[in-house]
Amino acid sequence: MAPAPTLAARGVSKSFFGNRVLDDVSITLVPGRIHALLGENGAGKSTLINLLSGALVPDSGTIELGGETHRSLNPREARRGGVAVVQQELGLTADLSIAENIGLGAYPRRFGLIDYPALARKARAACDLVGLREDLSTPVAGLPLGRRQLVEIAKALFREPRVLILDEPTSSLSAHEADTLTRLLETLKASGVAILYISHRLNEVMRLCDHVTVLKDGVVTADRSLEGVDAAGLVRLMVGRDPGDLFPSWTPAPAPETLVSVDGFTGGMLRDVSIDIRRGEVLGIGGLVGQGQEDLLLALYGALPARARAAMFNGVAGVPSSVMRANALGLAYVPADRKREGLHLTHTIAWNMMVPSLGRARGLALRNRASERALATTLADRLTIKGDLTRAVQALSGGNQQKVALAKWMPSDPPILLLNDPTRGVDVETKREIYVLLRRFAAEGRAVVLSSSDTPELVHLCDRVAVMREGRIVSTLPHGEASEEAIVAAAMAAEPERAAA
Amino acid sequence: MSTASGALYWPVQRRRNRGLIGLFAVVAVFLALYIYLFPGFLTVSGIAKFSQSWFPLALVAMAQGILMLTGGISLAIGPLVSLGAVVAATTMAGPLGAPGGIAAVALAGLAIGSVSGVIVVRLRLPAIVVTLAAAFIIGGIALLILPRPGGEIPLWFSNLLAGNTPVALGLLVVVALSWKLYLATPIGLSLYAAGENPVGAYRSGVPVDLARIVAYAISGLLCTLAGLFVAAQTGSGDPVIGTAFTLNSIAAAVLGGIGFLGGKGTMRGALAGSLLLSLMISVMFFLGFSPVAQYVAQGLIIIGAVAIPEIRRWRSVT
Repeated sequence: MAPAPTLAARGVSKSFFGNRVLDDVSITLVPGRIHALLGENGAGKSTLINLLSGALVPDSGTIELGGETHRSLNPREARRGGVAVVQQELGLTADLSIAENIGLGAYPRRFGLIDYPALARKARAACDLVGLREDLSTPVAGLPLGRRQLVEIAKALFREPRVLILDEPTSSLSAHEADTLTRLLETLKASGVAILYISHRLNEVMRLCDHVTVLKDGVVTADRSLEGVDAAGLVRLMVGRDPGDLFPSWTPAPAPETLVSVDGFTGGMLRDVSIDIRRGEVLGIGGLVGQGQEDLLLALYGALPARARAAMFNGVAGVPSSVMRANALGLAYVPADRKREGLHLTHTIAWNMMVPSLGRARGLALRNRASERALATTLADRLTIKGDLTRAVQALSGGNQQKVALAKWMPSDPPILLLNDPTRGVDVETKREIYVLLRRFAAEGRAVVLSSSDTPELVHLCDRVAVMREGRIVSTLPHGEASEEAIVAAAMAAEPERAAA
Repeated sequence: MSTASGALYWPVQRRRNRGLIGLFAVVAVFLALYIYLFPGFLTVSGIAKFSQSWFPLALVAMAQGILMLTGGISLAIGPLVSLGAVVAATTMAGPLGAPGGIAAVALAGLAIGSVSGVIVVRLRLPAIVVTLAAAFIIGGIALLILPRPGGEIPLWFSNLLAGNTPVALGLLVVVALSWKLYLATPIGLSLYAAGENPVGAYRSGVPVDLARIVAYAISGLLCTLAGLFVAAQTGSGDPVIGTAFTLNSIAAAVLGGIGFLGGKGTMRGALAGSLLLSLMISVMFFLGFSPVAQYVAQGLIIIGAVAIPEIRRWRSVT
């Protein structure tokens, strides 16, 4: 009753820049079984897929494919061994037709040329499997996202894989398309294909999969049959970290006063979002990666065109139409990608801190070096940025860079701070300092909006947590009710109450 | 191309024309204007003369277009044309004879193209910097081979290519068909994927690096062949004759709708772009524009060509 594994990882570890992403992870895929891989954002799922498909080489441990043990599997060997991956970011070429995309890298040939009739035949067969009825000559550029995802799946099937890895295949599919996919996976399973299925939709996993591996912080916390497991049990296996004394103690905000309120906010990924932002609170925005959190911050900041049924920003009605307008209304935004959006890396710390003030200075007024220097020193002091302020920002650690990105807004004393994942890639000590800062901003009467992919942060730091899914706020949890389980359950639509019953 | 027929190949080809209909229409308008201004066009020698003025530009537009499809760009097009002309003028009348000379020209283009391709692709250097450096080096080599205009092209060869028969047009058809044949090979078609989405292409099993290096080699070959043709037109070699082709090749490719980010555009677009550019130059010449006004008009038309699709996209968003 234990068929030989088709593809397996044995004790693999992988680090990026000294940051351990996977630690002694093992997973075994066997023919005719749908294996679920679960984990929170950043648990190491994508890295594991990349190791299994040869896109990355493990630091230690081995990959076993078709009975052979590999220390460093490369993509070519993986493909030859029958491994096909449906990636989350689409790997399609917009200007090529559906068929040409499906066959890419594995074109049937005749006399050295692409055998178009054979390509058409095989691509048609793969498209029929996934329910893609478009003309094969249609360029992919003209297809909506869900259809492109189906092309991506057809592309994997075109290679007649023995191991099929699907990384959130249903994230952009309609219900009907997802049903077709479910039936297809069951057919493939019956024909003996080993399937690894990554999804954030727990009910899908419960319905479809036979076996589950749960990753948490790069470690396997469960590797078992799905029989007799409920959704709440799975959520518990994914979350739960010891917060230690990382977080400052939480005190409720005194007399909340609404600074920003939007109703029926729509734009970018946002669908009819209503939210109040109050003075003196840290409002957390949670959810799985890419559910519209960034668009919410950008829309509030006037950097993304959006409409609202009703909006009030710091006493002014209407949504800010531009970043300058938002700045004038007292909003400041610290982007997630500090290297590209938040900072000018090759310039000095002091210069970076002055940038927002430059935009506000009167036209051609001369800069006052002495006051700038004094201001920079004060800011560095306040945010505990250590070292010489004339150094280039790129020489700083990630954590200190983040502090500079924060510091540059302090001179204008914005009452509303929008922060996009400020602690991503930041060391623990700096994280702590940033948390203390954020609580202090709130205590000083500012409103802090914190979008974070780190669930403990939302639990321990925030006064309220709004959880987003597919562009909507699906749940707003006050401090105390916002446990990691509750947030993850809301993000994944796991309905814990029913599962627990 | 019997292998490329079937129920899929031709529909795919037809779809590729779709975005180019506007460009084809503009080319047709300019062509009509040209014929109206210069009725002599509709004779064998008229067609021969026009296709001879178009031919080298068509080749360099393709050379630039291929590199832009890889996501790169070349600033060495002009110097490579000069080098091709110089090599042709110094070898064809020598002991190698015409076939040997043509082989030497082709080999120079392929070799220099491959080397710059390897440098760009393998060392992951920006194409614009590598080809800028290559432009200085190649230009220098051309001047070392032939410090001042000279050399010799056999008269019969000049008469064949640049005489009163439209041989150039025939050659262009051959070049275009060869490109179609290349695009029908897996490595050729993979160029689109390698240019637009190299990571996705790599994961799909496309030999991304090879596809890009081959593109550089083909590009180099087309440039030196254009140089050979220019030498045949003038009957001798000139070490700086190609200079104007660098920027004109970019202009033609951009007019033809080839994108700067790789994987966007078609070679038939680049050819149409080069045709439009040569028609524009001729028409403005006949209309008596001063050379300076011609340059200004050319620039405005190019900006317009790039801006129109962008404006259309804008309006469809809002």
